[in-house]
Amino acid sequence: MSLPSAFIKNAPASAPLNGTFIDYASLRALVVDDYPGMRNALRLTLSNFGVVKVQLAANASEALFHVKNKEFDFILCDYNLGDGRDGQQLLEELRHGNLISLETVFMMVTAESYYEKVAATAELAPDDYMIKPFSAEILRNRLDGILLRKRAFREVYRHFLAGDLEAALVACDEMMRNYPKYAVDGLRFKGELLVTLGRFDEAEALYKQVIAMRAIPWARLGLARSLHLQKKEEPAEEELRDVLEHAPSMVAAYDLLADVCLAKKDGAAAQAALEKGVAISGKTVRRQQKLGEVAYTNGDLDAARTAFTNTLEKGRHSIFVTPADLGNLCRVQVEQGDLKAVADTLKKNKSSLQGSPEGKLVMAVSQSMMHNETGNLQEAVKALDEAASLRSAGTRCDPQMMLDLAGVCMANGREGEADGIVAEVARNAHDSESLLAKARKIYDQAGRSDAGAAVLASATADVRKLNNEGVVLAQKGDFKTAVEKLLTACNEAPYNPRIIMNAVWVILKYIDQVGMDEKMITIARNHLAEAERQAPGHSRISGLRLHLKEVETRFGMSRT
Amino acid sequence: MKFDGTALYAALIHELKNNLGLLSMTLDSIPMQAEPQHDRPVNDARLLCQSVIDRLQQALLIFKANNQQLQPTIDAYSPHDLVREIMERTVALSRDRLHIEAELAADVPAIWFFDRDLIEMALVNAIQNSLAYARSSIRIEAGMVEGCLALSVRDDSEGYPEHILTSVATNTPYRATGTGLGLQFARLIVQTHENRGRFGELRLFNDSGAVFSLLLP
Repeated sequence: MSLPSAFIKNAPASAPLNGTFIDYASLRALVVDDYPGMRNALRLTLSNFGVVKVQLAANASEALFHVKNKEFDFILCDYNLGDGRDGQQLLEELRHGNLISLETVFMMVTAESYYEKVAATAELAPDDYMIKPFSAEILRNRLDGILLRKRAFREVYRHFLAGDLEAALVACDEMMRNYPKYAVDGLRFKGELLVTLGRFDEAEALYKQVIAMRAIPWARLGLARSLHLQKKEEPAEEELRDVLEHAPSMVAAYDLLADVCLAKKDGAAAQAALEKGVAISGKTVRRQQKLGEVAYTNGDLDAARTAFTNTLEKGRHSIFVTPADLGNLCRVQVEQGDLKAVADTLKKNKSSLQGSPEGKLVMAVSQSMMHNETGNLQEAVKALDEAASLRSAGTRCDPQMMLDLAGVCMANGREGEADGIVAEVARNAHDSESLLAKARKIYDQAGRSDAGAAVLASATADVRKLNNEGVVLAQKGDFKTAVEKLLTACNEAPYNPRIIMNAVWVILKYIDQVGMDEKMITIARNHLAEAERQAPGHSRISGLRLHLKEVETRFGMSRT
Repeated sequence: MKFDGTALYAALIHELKNNLGLLSMTLDSIPMQAEPQHDRPVNDARLLCQSVIDRLQQALLIFKANNQQLQPTIDAYSPHDLVREIMERTVALSRDRLHIEAELAADVPAIWFFDRDLIEMALVNAIQNSLAYARSSIRIEAGMVEGCLALSVRDDSEGYPEHILTSVATNTPYRATGTGLGLQFARLIVQTHENRGRFGELRLFNDSGAVFSLLLP
């Protein structure tokens, strides 16, 4: 391809520091399209401007395989990949699994109409999207633009990847001064940094600044999110309702609206919001999961069943689906008295459940519930024995399921076992009102309300006491004893995210006070990882991670 | 299920557009041989294919607009990048037949807010017109007019006929075929751009040739 013979008058001089030359011969590209003719056509299009290192993939699984084995600078992916995952699901897996870096360009190819309205406003947007058909020069032009923008962001990304978000903020400001044309992109990234850092009021101000320029949807959504995170639910809801009035197809706004409604304890409104989101884009597994949970809590079993069924169907290829989703569906079916459906569900998913200890436990619990309902006590006991042996081998599943198990144990006269399970759940979720309420209900139904109260009280008392003492000691500055208390609490409740986070916090304060303690910092690191497993995306985690990073750097232990 | 004839038409057009896309890529892959007898028809086919694709794309957009679905996706873009991209596309489409140039006024800001894909479609459509009518040159311009970003395509053709100028100036409908269809489409697009109560405008005039101008608030 020749360069244009024309020229632009008054074009700004090329950007400072970095040139605008892009070495396409060294660019590693991955083309994902289910149609062989299109794959080859795209390879040809790329070769038009010198991209020769091209890997082809026919579907998301192939793409994931290549990405796991090799680094790519550029992924060109068709939105529609036939059966299996679509391009958006692939993108979500790549980003959530940290399989591609911020520097990798991800471009979605779409046949327009449907995709643009959904994806343009999705939380996880590609770097750009190309509307079919497009010529080599259009693709090169877009790619130029994105690669140059990423080049301008290089320092910002570097600090971000090193976990130094403060430095990333500073680098963002610097970048915006050097490249005015990326000012809005810079603000968008800054907004996300501020939210991650828990500086919600500053994020709010930033989004208002963008909106003053133009009320673009992502800025309005960002504003609503930072309001919600400051527990300013009324203005957050007002903003979202207004956004949706103007752009009713903006799915991300429904998700956030549901969170706001839940914070306001309006489960019906949350369900309504999620139902609207699902009607527009039902493929997103996490939206279906959430709808199922909210509908179940609202007592709307039909809606819950539909949502959990969809979760399993749409999520057949998704990493976001776990055995707990099957358990959720079985629970609803049991409560509906549709035991044939439970048997079908378990039969249909037998092979995937047998694949992991957690899956086996979910299967055993669901079977025990089913047989218990049908009165087939022999089979119920068999399932309970299976569950007990899995548990004694250290297998756990989600707390709702564990409480289901406790319920069946109780119904079969295995009170001691039931009490043990409830105590374990309660210790690990001493501050979760909904789980404790469900546990109480099980005892009420068995006519053992007093016994239940005692089990819950003693299970949570130790943990609660140790936790409170630890926090008070820390506030008084006695971090050494606080660490002892909270680590004991962690031993009692090894999966309780709040306790674990408190433990990490006091360890870091302790090191701040007395200096480095290698054993302690290792414990803090491991506990923080466990907290992330138990409560992914919890608002306290990023702050703790920063604190840990800062301590490591201060004592020259930085691992970056 | 309700039988929806127009939705079916739309799906059909969609399909046609994608097939033509493949055809266009196939044409792109035919190597030039520096022999006019070979190269010229290939180039003509390429251009024609591209313009049919553009027309189909417009048909789909009009369908969407009829269903009140034509919601622009507004974000921040660099007018400088836009002008460069449009110029490069024009150069590629003209295949050295015409002199192409671009000019950015000094007061054009680094960022403006618009729907890049829609605005590009409208501009490329104007460029297809100019490619058909211009005598020797096309000029792409960006400037500030009445507080709006004005993106213009200027050529040295005979200019627009009187009835088109009148109908666009008075915002009244006119017999829409060929050039007229494209202009209606451009007007539709630019009018979806709104900022604080001010709507985008399509302005046409003759000034030693045809001038097509989009005003973005």
